[in-house]
Amino acid sequence: MSGQPLLSVRDAHRDYPHSGEPVHAVRGVSLQVTEGEYVAIVGPSGCGKSTLLNLLGAIDRPTTGSVTIGGTAVSALPDKAATHFRLTNIGFVFQRFYLLPVLTAQENIELPMAEAKVALAERHERARELLGYVGLAARADHRPAELSGGEQQRVAIARALANRPIVLLADEPTGELDARTGGEVIALFDRLNREGMTIVVVTHDEKLAGAARRVIHMLDGRIVRDEPLLRRA
Amino acid sequence: MTAALTARVASAQRIDSIPPWKAEVRTIAVDERLAADAGLRVGDLVVLAAEPGNASGDTVRISAILQRRADPSEVARSEYRIRTHLGQLQELIGYGDRVDRYAIQTTGGVAADSALRRINALSFGFHAYPSREIAVETSKTFLVVSRFHRAIGMITIVASATFLLCIMLLKVDERRRDVAAMRLMGISRATVVRTVMLESSFVALLGSLFGVALGFAVSAFVNAHYQAVYRTPLRFAIITAGTVTYSVLLSLVLGIGAGALAARRLSRTPPLTLFGR
Repeated sequence: MSGQPLLSVRDAHRDYPHSGEPVHAVRGVSLQVTEGEYVAIVGPSGCGKSTLLNLLGAIDRPTTGSVTIGGTAVSALPDKAATHFRLTNIGFVFQRFYLLPVLTAQENIELPMAEAKVALAERHERARELLGYVGLAARADHRPAELSGGEQQRVAIARALANRPIVLLADEPTGELDARTGGEVIALFDRLNREGMTIVVVTHDEKLAGAARRVIHMLDGRIVRDEPLLRRA
Repeated sequence: MTAALTARVASAQRIDSIPPWKAEVRTIAVDERLAADAGLRVGDLVVLAAEPGNASGDTVRISAILQRRADPSEVARSEYRIRTHLGQLQELIGYGDRVDRYAIQTTGGVAADSALRRINALSFGFHAYPSREIAVETSKTFLVVSRFHRAIGMITIVASATFLLCIMLLKVDERRRDVAAMRLMGISRATVVRTVMLESSFVALLGSLFGVALGFAVSAFVNAHYQAVYRTPLRFAIITAGTVTYSVLLSLVLGIGAGALAARRLSRTPPLTLFGR
């Protein structure tokens, strides 16, 4: 861990209009995540943790306050630039995988690389390498419907890593999985973090939160507790 | 006169041999319906009479089996037909030396219009018409039917186009979460639009090819069925190169249009809204 702040949120508020009244999803959150950290954001449903993750991932903009990722003020980026920033700097893992059903596992992994205009040969090689990393080298030509939930999520993680992001963001990555396959995803995240990947997960899963090095508790749009866990051997 | 006329036959009874008082028999042609139903073949002898059971009819030999013309006006006519020589016909029906109408074909450099003018200038008690006018007059019913078909076709096209548009929009709408995920991953709007449009064009092209194949199969079935029912070589359903081109182009335009509309909607909606947040 280098100790450099990779993600920085300063006094961020996010309000949504609802029936003429603003809903305060995030209220004055300030947060720094340093390179190589493994952070879990936990809290009851509706506490604003997914909204915070969206702000951290340049998906959404704060109503007030700022978000900086790797030195870039993403909250000020126009939509097109923010989209390209996400493509090249951020890896997303979703609860429901969202693999494209018509593409094979390998093609799904190659999709973000194709968008980033990575050369074909390099895409193939990188996709194969990532499939091997997540333990699915033999499933490269399988379509999502032919994969189990755990396998699909591992392909989704490989896809998130395709463009060598500086941070991996995950929203309930074990939410659709049973205990065993959820455990595989937790182990994979753990391995990625040990190898230097910065990870931020939003979860209700105690096991996943317990695997993180730092747990941030949210309630009513605010951070109420931010606790580093003991590092494991 | 050697020209043959088409006439209804009241009775055509097959016999085994030429009657002894006849030195030779004349020939006739019968249509294939009559041949099939009465079991007649070329070379058979038959007795023609104006009334059924009239033993004093004319004994003739079948020299040809005629196939019916592919004429829509003849489809619903169920009567049998024979062709006889003109004199033979006049004797048979007792009509005397009279005709209701006859056709003249001009050949060589004779212009039909000038021939027509001269005939009408000389004629007394009858009038000559160009075959084009006769054809137009007799096919007016079919023109009306044709217009009905065109109207039905247009309604079908409009209805199916609306249906196709709705289906395309629904299919794309079903994938809004996939598109949202793509956009969150950093896939650009342009790529999303291109992908949706490429897919919709591909679906439209495949759909139109399938439609053309289905059209050929259905028209073959329709033709086979109704040709058997009406015993006519008339083709009831025809798919022309123009029809195929028109349908494929229309399908592509509709598919691409629907894809563009859907892609525009998807790309303009923020990804989080597509996710339902």
